[in-house]
Amino acid sequence: MTKPSIPLGLVFSRSGPYAMMAREMEKSALMAVDEVNHSGEFDFTFVPHLRDPGGVVAAYHTCCDNLIREEQVEHIVGCYTSASRKQVIPIVERTERLLWHPARYEGFESSDNVIYVGAAPNHTVVPLVRHMLDHIASEVFCAGSNYVWTWESNRVLREIVSSAGGRILAERLLELGDIAVDHIVNEIIDRKPPAVFNTLVGESSYAFMRALHAASRRAGLSIPVLSCSLCEPELKMIGPTASVGCIASSAYFESIEGAENRAFVTRWKARHGTDSNPSVDGQSTYVCVMLLARAIRRAGSTDVAAVRRAAANHRYDSPQGPVWVDPANNHCFLTPRLARSVQGSQFEIFWEADAPERPDPYLSDLDLASFAQPDRASETTVRRGSHLRVVK
Amino acid sequence: MTKPSPFAVRGRRALMIMKDERDIAPLRRQFDRLGMSVIEAEPAQLQLPPEGVDVIVLDADSIPIKSDCALSGKINSPIIALIGTETPSRLKWLLDLQPASFLVKPLRSAGLYTALVVAFDCAQRRIEEAAHLERLEDRIRSRRIVVAAVLQLIRAHALSEEDAFTLIRQTAMRYRTTIEQLSAEIIAVGGMPNRTSRTA
Repeated sequence: MTKPSIPLGLVFSRSGPYAMMAREMEKSALMAVDEVNHSGEFDFTFVPHLRDPGGVVAAYHTCCDNLIREEQVEHIVGCYTSASRKQVIPIVERTERLLWHPARYEGFESSDNVIYVGAAPNHTVVPLVRHMLDHIASEVFCAGSNYVWTWESNRVLREIVSSAGGRILAERLLELGDIAVDHIVNEIIDRKPPAVFNTLVGESSYAFMRALHAASRRAGLSIPVLSCSLCEPELKMIGPTASVGCIASSAYFESIEGAENRAFVTRWKARHGTDSNPSVDGQSTYVCVMLLARAIRRAGSTDVAAVRRAAANHRYDSPQGPVWVDPANNHCFLTPRLARSVQGSQFEIFWEADAPERPDPYLSDLDLASFAQPDRASETTVRRGSHLRVVK
Repeated sequence: MTKPSPFAVRGRRALMIMKDERDIAPLRRQFDRLGMSVIEAEPAQLQLPPEGVDVIVLDADSIPIKSDCALSGKINSPIIALIGTETPSRLKWLLDLQPASFLVKPLRSAGLYTALVVAFDCAQRRIEEAAHLERLEDRIRSRRIVVAAVLQLIRAHALSEEDAFTLIRQTAMRYRTTIEQLSAEIIAVGGMPNRTSRTA
């Protein structure tokens, strides 16, 4: 007997400025679809319908409109940038469909028709800045791409750092895709900041990391670079030496211990090759499909309202650890982690929260006073003891 | 001069600084229904200040936050902001432009009229407040002159400070002039001027 099939929309830009990440995400979605389809645990199969907006913002609306009208999809997994998600939200809200959004983003949004599976800002930028203040410096140089992720990450950084009595030494921005990084690198070498916060994306980031590494080596400097987005495939793009020593904040690293992740990585390499690495956004896309499949199974229906109810608070032991949807804001409980990049395009995790953290997309729980000097050090030590666990 | 009613939108001119055709089309239609004329500008090729524009509709997401925005200069027309991204960094950028009102994307036919009325009313109030403020500032600036005039009378006529000020106030009232104006004359002639030549 054949299982009933469920159409599933997948919207990823296989071309355009962030094609590399989007291709990773599409690969991961298709891997999850295959696993669901071949699993005895699900009494249905997904029929994926792929759409490629080519990195053109307006095309996301057209692609989703087409998926809903022509393929009758009720659920769409996709989008990478906030600009593309904002194109899709009106149409999923109007037609009562559900967008499963894999990528981390800057927050300040909460649609009933989006399940936000990527990290919220309290999962990424906040723990990274806390680590920087506690262990590196309270003064930082910011280099980023000129778009919403940088603007908002830098704002949060600035608020926290100012509360701690520190300061932003400079904020330098490049247009998306721009690889003319020398003036920023020269300024950094000239000013020798104790830390650099890198929110550059794609080729800009790779060029920057390579140039900064080379210039630092010539000048005999070692300036720690902090990032909320660097992932394993990107370390490979940057190169074997320039990619070492960065501090990254993420809910997923390939090096996470635990049976689910080890099995996931093994399946990944069997499917994509031994020199291929899963990434945070890819893994998150995989989690999107799995959360959806489990919610459909639990609801016994693909109906959006029923699936949303079924997904709420339903724990899934994913490669990145336990994940579940918070029905209060449709974002996910995730475990924040900090890691240092090492040889072999890998990350060594040195800190993780000891339990998944509630998503706080509007950062309304962010207590800036807790960062204030002079009590910060003692307070954080106490807090560390209570709910933070040092992994290594 | 009678005040223009914020509800009278016909014949007014709007400048649309927007990028996304899906937002532009419904607004264009709605402006047409309201009898307003529209000029459109590409956010990237913005030439400001615009001439003869009564209201500016600005898609806040169409201009990068960290850019040399032509809008950051002095704009007299009220701004209606179209909001997509609600991040504080974007809203802070917007606050600096002092929008008179706003609409949340995606746009619908409803809402524009309210946004226009609020914007026109806000613009009118700003003009009135600015005029009021200017009058108050004038008076503060002339405080120094009034004080100097009071001192002049204290010295010339051996009056107390209170009597000197009362004299200025009463004289000003009698000659239907302002305290500030009379004070300037007191300083100019070195004492209470002979005002017989100037009566109402």
